[in-house]
Amino acid sequence: MDKVVVIGSGIAGCACAVRLAEAGIHVQLVSPYPSERSQSVMAAGGINAVLSDCEEGDSIACHVQDTLRGGHNLAGTQAVRTLCERAPEVIAYLERIGTVFSLEADGSLARRAFGGQTHRRTYYCGSSTGKQIVSALVMEVRRFETQGLIRRRLWSSFHSALIRDGRCFGAILYDEKSGNLMAEHADALVMATGGQNALFGKTTGSTQCDGYAAGKLFAQGVDLKNLEFVQYHPTTLETSQKRMLISEAVRGEGGRLFYLEHGERIYFMEEKYGDGGNLMPRDVVSQEMAATGRETYLDASFLGKDLIDKRLPEVRDICSKYRGIDVAAEPIPVAPSVHFFMGGIAVDNNHETNIQNLFAAGECASMYHGANRLGGNSLLAAICGGWVVADTIADRSRAGASPDFAALLREENQKLARMRDTSSVFPVMYIRDLLAKTMAECLGIVRNDSSLADGISDVDYYLSIAEKISYDPSAMMYANYSLVGILTLAKATLACARQRRESRGAHVRSDYPASQDSLCHASIVSYENGRYRVWLDKDKRYER
Amino acid sequence: MNVRILRQLTPTSPTRWEGFNVDVTDDMSIAGLLDHINYNDDIFDDQGNLTTRIGWECSCLQGACGACAMVVNDQPVLACETFVRDLKGSTIEIRPLRKFPVVHDLIVDRSSIHENLTSANVCIESYDPNETGSQAKLVKRQRHQYEIAKCLKCGLCLEVCPNYTNGLTFFGALFANDCYLVAMRNKSKAAEIKALYGEHFGRDCSKALSCMDVCPAQISTISSMAHLNR
Ligand SMILES: Cc1cc2nc3c(=O)[nH]c(=O)nc-3n(C[C@H](O)[C@H](O)[C@H](O)COP(=O)(O)OP(=O)(O)OC[C@H]3O[C@@H](n4cnc5c(N)ncnc54)[C@H](O)[C@@H]3O)c2cc1C
Ligand code: FES
Repeated sequence: MDKVVVIGSGIAGCACAVRLAEAGIHVQLVSPYPSERSQSVMAAGGINAVLSDCEEGDSIACHVQDTLRGGHNLAGTQAVRTLCERAPEVIAYLERIGTVFSLEADGSLARRAFGGQTHRRTYYCGSSTGKQIVSALVMEVRRFETQGLIRRRLWSSFHSALIRDGRCFGAILYDEKSGNLMAEHADALVMATGGQNALFGKTTGSTQCDGYAAGKLFAQGVDLKNLEFVQYHPTTLETSQKRMLISEAVRGEGGRLFYLEHGERIYFMEEKYGDGGNLMPRDVVSQEMAATGRETYLDASFLGKDLIDKRLPEVRDICSKYRGIDVAAEPIPVAPSVHFFMGGIAVDNNHETNIQNLFAAGECASMYHGANRLGGNSLLAAICGGWVVADTIADRSRAGASPDFAALLREENQKLARMRDTSSVFPVMYIRDLLAKTMAECLGIVRNDSSLADGISDVDYYLSIAEKISYDPSAMMYANYSLVGILTLAKATLACARQRRESRGAHVRSDYPASQDSLCHASIVSYENGRYRVWLDKDKRYER
Repeated sequence: MNVRILRQLTPTSPTRWEGFNVDVTDDMSIAGLLDHINYNDDIFDDQGNLTTRIGWECSCLQGACGACAMVVNDQPVLACETFVRDLKGSTIEIRPLRKFPVVHDLIVDRSSIHENLTSANVCIESYDPNETGSQAKLVKRQRHQYEIAKCLKCGLCLEVCPNYTNGLTFFGALFANDCYLVAMRNKSKAAEIKALYGEHFGRDCSKALSCMDVCPAQISTISSMAHLNR
């Protein structure tokens, strides 16, 4: 193949683009804003790998085991094996391109403990691992930009894929500066658009991750997978605009969770699970916190100012800046919040969707994490997934001539023009706020059938008015046209959650509290003439 | 409190100041304040006229991505980590960064930052930790390199710089720091990158160092300069 469009320039998009360019393939790297604004820069804690100088007793097989077990056996064994086997190569690569990893005194790479893992295998860069990786990857992208192999397209957003007869031929992009849609023909299209925070409003992540692309592709016939598995991070701090993540690294360094009863501290995780209780997988900790029914706190003060200054400076700064809390002197009030999406675009082990030559990698794709992701595995998955896509594309011959999409482009441009000509008392953001409320109510840590059914009818109502309201001239055009795709993804998510009548990992149903062996398969949702059909991937059509 | 905002609907529309009466609290950030104004079905200015939502860019909302860079009371800042409690005076004045073309209201096009770094091909390419010499030296230099790699490319250092105008020849502090990172991490490129540093920074920097005062990542540009000027 010769020309590829990559949508999204976070870690997955950049890793994929660079690998494609290394194979001599021309890449258009599309994102409205530069990589420095992507959610990837927010990743704090680290990236997992088992290197040759690993902790005693650790092995790649242990990493595989921990990942599969942490994901409640829903992830594909072969896929996870590939991920963990390639992890040492990923770390070596990141080091070679200049990522500034934290070092031990002897100059070797430092590592820390992360939740749900049997060994310390999380490599990190201070408290800004994602940012340090993005900085290094951006330089690599630049190297290929100067060689003419990668072309960045800023101010451009994904609108839709060019699909005909089950094959993808590129994408329609919206250019915010010219206000026009344009068709970008390519041999393959790679989605790397991140998670779907906008469904929930306030989360720990970036406002740029809205899920529109997944929702739009779904309506174009692309299957989605495991949407019901939404990771609530147990330790987040409430602020007026978002939930600030208090990194798992705090507990990795020894931080303890407690609640107060008659003025006494109850270390509920340690009481129930022993010494490692605070570092149980995220789904377990979040569910235990919710079950206390009280305010919970995370204490790191006993670690001392020196260690906090050295190992957890970003956590220290967030707490003091946004809430006036001195972590070295007092506990942090914490509560679970939406943080990561195990579900997304359904892909096979080559990261290809059910549409030929349409791929997805990074958080927008559902891969490796099963029903619950382990901290430190998603940065790894973003890079590794980007590489798998690039290698698959590099091995594939050219797609042949693209069909004529001129009529479609004309039609979509006309739709946009009609949207511009309308105005409404309901701005788009208002409906997005309503959606966030619905999702928080129906897709919290614990769900049940009747609230999920209510959620679906709420979203149906929003969808029914979304086509009519439209243009808010004071918002960027993308915010307007993306609404329907976001709502579509929300409805698909609720449909998956309603259909899974069991509790597993991050999906807890009060009406079906037990796991069912017969349901230990990925859920897939397909769009069939306006219907959302949810089915179990028993034959492993996708991840295996 | 009265909040004045410089508005501009499109890159080519005229600019105008618009005032808003806002109930602010001390712990409100400027980002929070903008959201607060925008979070109404109908938005009225301080004259009671119906107006449009204020356009501004954000992503992380915690000072980690540089999206929300703007000028508040004449100071270039990140809106999401500037709080009402930090501001003096009885009004708040917000305008877009001046050194970049406006796209919409407070949203500016900072593509020139990336274009300049690309035109000079600032990239490490290949890092070999064993090249640096002793482990002690490696660990010691690590800190500054880590700080530099945290550069948000937000453009605040360029906004405040008396020497940076349109970025055509002088590329500013963020460029100087990235040059340092490349020089330190790839010895074989050190001479070439130092020459580029001289051409696009060292030669014209008047050492006002105001860039360091506004840098959200608190990068010590002077440390990079000390090395590269040698
Ligand atoms: C606070 C926080 C801390 C985290 N810490 C860790 C950690 O320690 N370890 C770990 O492994 N993981 C961590 N994660 C998760 C990890 O950061 C993400 O899973 C990962 O960075 C996702 O990378 P990505 O490239 O898939 O997506 P992103 O980095 O989200 O990038 C998405 C890109 O797509 C673009 N985009 C989106 N929509 C469109 C559109 N419609 N058109 C065009 N472009 C579009 C965006 O602009 C962006 O460039 C953390 C997440 C958060 C929020
Ligand atoms: S929104 Fe990221 S720095 Fe303000």
